[in-house]
Amino acid sequence: MNKKDDWKIHLLALVMVIIAEYIGIKRFQVGPGTVLLLPMLYALVMGMFLPVLRLVERADMDMASPYIGLSVMLLVAKMGTTIGPNLAKIISAGPALILQELGNLGTIFLALPVAVLVFKMGREAIGVSFSISREGSLAIISDLYGLDSAEGHGVMGGYIVGTLIGAIFNGLMVGFLISLGFFHPYALAMACGTGSASMMAAALGPVVTAYPAMEAELSAFAATSQLLTNVDGLYMSLFMAIPITEWLYRKLKGKKATNNEGVDK
Amino acid sequence: MKLSSAVRIFLISGALGIVANFVGFKVNPIAAIPGMLILLAIVIVGYVLAQVSPVKLPSIAYISALAIITSIPGVPGAELVIKHVGNIQFLALCTPILAYAGISIGKDLNSFKEQGVKIVLAALLTFVGTFIGSAVIAQVVLKITGVI
Repeated sequence: MNKKDDWKIHLLALVMVIIAEYIGIKRFQVGPGTVLLLPMLYALVMGMFLPVLRLVERADMDMASPYIGLSVMLLVAKMGTTIGPNLAKIISAGPALILQELGNLGTIFLALPVAVLVFKMGREAIGVSFSISREGSLAIISDLYGLDSAEGHGVMGGYIVGTLIGAIFNGLMVGFLISLGFFHPYALAMACGTGSASMMAAALGPVVTAYPAMEAELSAFAATSQLLTNVDGLYMSLFMAIPITEWLYRKLKGKKATNNEGVDK
Repeated sequence: MKLSSAVRIFLISGALGIVANFVGFKVNPIAAIPGMLILLAIVIVGYVLAQVSPVKLPSIAYISALAIITSIPGVPGAELVIKHVGNIQFLALCTPILAYAGISIGKDLNSFKEQGVKIVLAALLTFVGTFIGSAVIAQVVLKITGVI
């Protein structure tokens, strides 16, 4: 790699970061949830216009691609340092709280079959289905497959959807589940901790509103579950979610996989 | 990628992180430097470990493990790690990543558009699957253990 040639990329990134952070976080309330616009999204959107403005060429795009995976590593380190101080609390969480973490794998068995069998998606389905596509998921996919792979497109798409409308969607979904009356509020609260702070808040809101007398326990369950997901998320994704998703993807594709292989990679 | 090239990118994106931290969160860059140096040290050691270790794991597994261990209260230096890295905002580290992603996204826009609506729907299903999966297990375990 020619080191002199990539200064344009870093300079562009610097300008994009400054503009994006200058605009700052914007939130507005829509129905049961908040729409959150984050500087990182502005940076991504600005990037989409660079080719139109003729500021980047194909060679620059290819050169910038591995930098995504490397810069993600700083974020992974930051996330790790927020886990250490909380390890003791995790150990004292009860069995229901700990075991419900496995439920996060439920996304694979719901989203992947639909993505593959109904939407006829390729390996994008793996990226979008193995998790709820938060920052940790971006890191995992970028490390294993690269963010500019089919899997990378999947997780990036999921990430954008989750950031824009994840909170609203979770609020509506939980409101609906409460009205079914099947789940105990404790179980609902524990399920709220899925790894995204804004989604947890939006999901917990309707539960607390429906059962105001239990507010303290419900909030504690949700917060602990959230903490657990932050701690185990990366490892559960690497060692369980991704292998299971890959396995199920192959099963679902069956013989067709050989025909589609050409477009996959 | 050669280690020196990777380290160079770590340093540059660390610098971008400090800029984002300053512009977006008003954290004095001088105050943010120790925390960023700690993160960089963790990243570089983890990256090297992944290359030389006989156990083949992605570098993020090593980096995350190192970061967790060095921040467990009681581990020598943990207080310093927690204090200084606390000055680096999580979101400030996200912006440079997506800036690089934005620069490289141009070449993928078409395939992105083709898959767009499907990805949106699949993403919404992941929220349903994760939530219901967790709620069902919690409900069953709470029943078995007699809490509800």
